[in-house]
Amino acid sequence: MHSASSIKQKFLKKWIMGLQLCNSSKKNMTIMERRKAIKLSADLALASVRNYTTRWSRALVASASQNDDNQALLQHIIGSDAAKHKKASINVVANSTTSVAKKIASKKILKRSWGIRRVRKLSNGALKDPPYSIAKRLVKKRTQLLKNLVPGGESMDAISLIEETLDYMVWLRAQVDVMRSLARASERLDGK
Amino acid sequence: MEKDDFYTNDGNGIGIPQPWNSIFGMELEAQVNEMNSQQIPNCFFNRNWENSMDQSDPFESALSSIVSSPVNSHPGIAIQGCGGPRENVVLKELIGRLGSICNSGEISPQSCINGNNFNLNCNNNNSTNASCYNTPLNSPPKLNLSIMDQNHNQIHGNYHRSDPEFPHMMESRIAIPSSDKKLSRLSMSLNQENKELDNSMEESSVSEQITGMETGIKSQNVRKRKDVPKGKRKETQFSNLSTKDNKVKADKEESITKRSKSEENAKLVEPPKDYIHVRARRGQATDSHSLAERVRREKISERMKFLQDLVPGCNKVTGKAVMLDEIINYVQSLQRQVEFLSMKLATVNPRTDVNMEALLSKDASMMNAMNHLDASAHPFYGMVHNGPDNMLMSMMHRGSNMKSSQIDGFSEVSAFWENDLQSVVQMGFGQNQGPSFHATMGTGQMKVEL
Repeated sequence: MHSASSIKQKFLKKWIMGLQLCNSSKKNMTIMERRKAIKLSADLALASVRNYTTRWSRALVASASQNDDNQALLQHIIGSDAAKHKKASINVVANSTTSVAKKIASKKILKRSWGIRRVRKLSNGALKDPPYSIAKRLVKKRTQLLKNLVPGGESMDAISLIEETLDYMVWLRAQVDVMRSLARASERLDGK
Repeated sequence: MEKDDFYTNDGNGIGIPQPWNSIFGMELEAQVNEMNSQQIPNCFFNRNWENSMDQSDPFESALSSIVSSPVNSHPGIAIQGCGGPRENVVLKELIGRLGSICNSGEISPQSCINGNNFNLNCNNNNSTNASCYNTPLNSPPKLNLSIMDQNHNQIHGNYHRSDPEFPHMMESRIAIPSSDKKLSRLSMSLNQENKELDNSMEESSVSEQITGMETGIKSQNVRKRKDVPKGKRKETQFSNLSTKDNKVKADKEESITKRSKSEENAKLVEPPKDYIHVRARRGQATDSHSLAERVRREKISERMKFLQDLVPGCNKVTGKAVMLDEIINYVQSLQRQVEFLSMKLATVNPRTDVNMEALLSKDASMMNAMNHLDASAHPFYGMVHNGPDNMLMSMMHRGSNMKSSQIDGFSEVSAFWENDLQSVVQMGFGQNQGPSFHATMGTGQMKVEL
């Protein structure tokens, strides 16, 4: 569809911009470095196309900005969105590790207090069946996994986590498509 | 591809603001419509006693049998035909029988209110005997009368409340699909009376009640007379719609439109008008915590449904754990693909850098390039061959054969490369568009898949 392709084009453009910058700065890079640079610019391009409205996009930018090496690239791709950048930078700061840690800590305290109450309740009432508790444990484990997968997911509760996952999946798919097309194109161009 | 569904929701091509939110809206609207269409036939379905037998509700059948037994011929009119002093006795007897039939164990406050109303109305009504059955829902007797007059089937007049009102309530927001909800009936009755009394706060919950009305009323009638004193207390409590109750109820029932507006924050913080109204289900705890948890669980399950549509191969999977597993696998696979592709790009094209530099030296030309796809694409694909490894060289070769705008050699080549790239990309993206894709495949050597 038109909107899909235009989004992908934007992404491609930004990505190529990032790549260009990377390549102009360092002429001889090892393959690993190149890979990292490619991936990084792809991620940043994705985040910027998403306009930083989602948690994961901001988290991507935040994690990238923490590494000083990426500053130039960051500036290049994201600096062009000046207004958004300000908002993004604010959000980036807000989502930075300290606040995330605080959120997590506060949630843990809350959960601990709830757990105490629950213990009291459960001591009175009948415990749920073992299958139920097993299922709960499974779900918990997997949500934890998912939180690790989705960028910026650690500090989110289950509901917003699922929303973010939805969004992230869609955009990740778009990113994969663009990258794949580019890979194929360059394959053809090289005459393989 | 399904992603297109998400993309097409966006009017402008700038971003995908909230693709799944619009789908939310669609889904929710579909649900609402579904609900609306469901409820009205349900209510009308009970219009006749004869039809009520078709329902699997034992209560109904028992009631109808009871009704038909003590009174003569036409069940619908039977109750109406009851004379004055005998009326209360008969009805009490019926109610008693109903009580024995009704096996629902909960002692819900609704019965109190219903009991209260019942007494009220029974004392006040002479001619409209069937209003006794309607009392739980219509506290003001005069209103009952008016409703009675409107509906020929008195007993089920409750279900309609008042005909003009009914469709209005149908239109209002409905959240949880109809299942037995005792508390809902209770608050519905209260809401209705409050509505009569010009309280619009419970409007959204009212509509929700109607679904539970058919089954609700019977059991309400059962409990009515038993807990009168409690009913009074609760009635005042509910009729005042204290903030505490609001909060209790507020979390539960999502009116879907409300939820779409006021999602996570809405539970306890919003002003009364914006509360999310939730009904406790039948047989479930009604304290605010469990209700809030139920809301949360329902939200999660809704979103999981969307994820189900998105992740391929998840249609048959039910259950959170398995779904989450699939989702995790999918996201992991996507991320691995990104890594793999970036590695591939890093290795495949040593000269990519230079070209891209040249490519992007002119942003304007890039945009123009997209418009010149067809012209440049064909010769390019014709030239794909086992030529020199150097992409630049091959582009040079090609560049000489191509017609060009006024750009010098290198940038011309790069512009065309950019054209090609864009065309490739576009072709790849345009795979779904079919015909246009094939049209541009001049030589057919390029195979781009999505």
